[in-house]
Amino acid sequence: MKLFRGFTAILYKEFIVVLRDPMTLFFMFFPPLIEMIAFGYALDNDVKHMATYVFDEDRTVESRALVNQFVNTQTFRVVGEVQSVEALAEAIRQGKAFVGIQIPPNFTRDLRSGASAQVQVLINGSSSTIASSALNTAISLGLRQSLIALFGETGRRSLPVEIRPQVLYNPDMRSPNFFVPGVIGVVLQIATTFATAMSVVRERERGTLEQLLVSPVSRWGLMLGKIVPYMCIGLVMGCGLFLIMRWLFDVPIAGSIALLSISTVVYVFALLSLGLLLSTRAENQMQALQMSMIFIMPSVFFSGFIFPRETMPWIFYAIGAALPTTYFIELLRGIILRGATLADLWRDLLILTGMGLALFAICAARFRSKIR
Amino acid sequence: MSDEVMIQCRDLTKRFGAFTAVDHVTFSISKGSIFGFLGPNGSGKSTVIRMLCGILEPTSGEAMVAGVNVVTNADQLKGKIGYMSQKFSLYDELNAWENLTFYGRLYGLRGAALRERMEQVIALTHLQPYLQRRAALLSGGWRQRLAMGCSLLHKPVVLFLDEPTAGIDPVARRELWDLLFEFSSLGMTLFITTHYMDEAERCSHVGYIHMSKLVVCGVPDELKHLPVVNPPNTRRLDVTCEHVTVGLQALRRLPGVRTATVFGQSMHLLVDQTLSEQAIRNRLMEVGIHDLDIRPIGPSLEDVFVALTVENRNEIAA
Repeated sequence: MKLFRGFTAILYKEFIVVLRDPMTLFFMFFPPLIEMIAFGYALDNDVKHMATYVFDEDRTVESRALVNQFVNTQTFRVVGEVQSVEALAEAIRQGKAFVGIQIPPNFTRDLRSGASAQVQVLINGSSSTIASSALNTAISLGLRQSLIALFGETGRRSLPVEIRPQVLYNPDMRSPNFFVPGVIGVVLQIATTFATAMSVVRERERGTLEQLLVSPVSRWGLMLGKIVPYMCIGLVMGCGLFLIMRWLFDVPIAGSIALLSISTVVYVFALLSLGLLLSTRAENQMQALQMSMIFIMPSVFFSGFIFPRETMPWIFYAIGAALPTTYFIELLRGIILRGATLADLWRDLLILTGMGLALFAICAARFRSKIR
Repeated sequence: MSDEVMIQCRDLTKRFGAFTAVDHVTFSISKGSIFGFLGPNGSGKSTVIRMLCGILEPTSGEAMVAGVNVVTNADQLKGKIGYMSQKFSLYDELNAWENLTFYGRLYGLRGAALRERMEQVIALTHLQPYLQRRAALLSGGWRQRLAMGCSLLHKPVVLFLDEPTAGIDPVARRELWDLLFEFSSLGMTLFITTHYMDEAERCSHVGYIHMSKLVVCGVPDELKHLPVVNPPNTRRLDVTCEHVTVGLQALRRLPGVRTATVFGQSMHLLVDQTLSEQAIRNRLMEVGIHDLDIRPIGPSLEDVFVALTVENRNEIAA
């Protein structure tokens, strides 16, 4: 075909180059795997067993029972006891404890007399997610204890109002289920964008691009020949990442594997086209690297990978809407967690496909078959 | 060599912003010529080649290569020309055989036709023992042969070579020239840039570009007879003696000596017709040089280029 003239030649060459260059392969495979595992474990919002210091001035059966209640929530773990409020504050400041529980001397007396028994809980607020988790747990613990006491007084057996929440799709509210699909999106982007971002500019630097321009190879043939080998590598990597997700992080795939595969193919194609576009613009490999970084940072922050897009200011929401990763993460969470079907997700898939084709068309059409 | 013109350009000009890299260059080269294109670094040699290959758009002027307009018909041109860039554009990760296969396929060769053509090129370049070696591990001379082989697979009628002998050993250099003469005899037109004057002497035609302008273009022997190279009432002498550097200083101050340059164990002088050999001998004896040999010589291509460069400079200054 004339439009893709030279495609098979480029394909032949690229496959050999990619497979013979151990550094490229290493940098395509190794960092993503490490990133996947590191991100997957690090991005865990499940707060458990926070180091807690106790300053128990009351020293009664009741006060000890209360401390046990705290421990039983699994959110707190008593690691030490102190004898003053100052020491309690100091332990938190030094980072030995995240939470301090102070039970005043008249705790049991107030409890028995029907007065409000006060317990002070100090929480390190420097990490807001963890702090709010500790705060919620402590408050609900207090409410529960109060209700039990009130039940005893009134003789009621049930709550006046009972809310029965049911968390769908991720019943245990495990963080990996939420984060790991997003990690796959981001990690795939890093590996694939860099790979093609280097490819054309490397030829420019080595002088082989000039040789290609003199030859009858067409722009489309050149671009497609460069994308297909990396596409294969990207898909192998994608499979690896999904396997890690399934078996290492134990995230079940609720939806169709076929839809997941199609989404991944489309996504990888879009990213490779993006990388290629950057590569045709860049003067040297350093520039290509920096340009890729410019796209990767927003993908981490504005794609909904970590921070929910719904709460973002409109400008960041708009940036997110322009990123392929946003739609891929949407697709992944839909398919993997909710078991959503094509009927539910066709818009995301369509936008992603459109982005991929547009990027590829731009980089082939605007690739200068001349040198400067 | 026939009269059929294979490369022709008229007022070819390339500007990069305010800088004029190639300034109204006009020349024509007939089929089967070996055209040596000379000039210092940055004088615009590679820019001319790139325009003739259709990968750089001229700012103005026009060029025809193998009967194809390089600006309007660049795509048609591609199958007819071969180009070997300064960097010997090979893929280091591919071995020699794979590089040949790749370039062959790039030009649409397939299957038996590709295999057959590769065999011919391998025989021509004697690459056989190195076919399985990666391009990265080939020495300069073999890289150059491989690059040349790659550019020959599609049987180009015009072959452009941008400094093909830069950085390779003398044996490889001579062998390359043997190959070039062979191609020329088969009717291929060769366009070669080089820094080496001895290579220029081997070319059937030479052009010299200086400060973006084509200073001269023609057959080497004709150029040596240009008036600017042989000013009236002067002659060229070769003086062979000991202590040439001492002698050079002495002769440069001798009235009647226009230029004096060292060539190994001898000096090349351009002197007034009226200056006698005896005057030169006397002067050299004053500085203690007694044993010397003086004989008349003709101008070399280097003399031609030096004379023309000086003239060009003076014109620009004027």
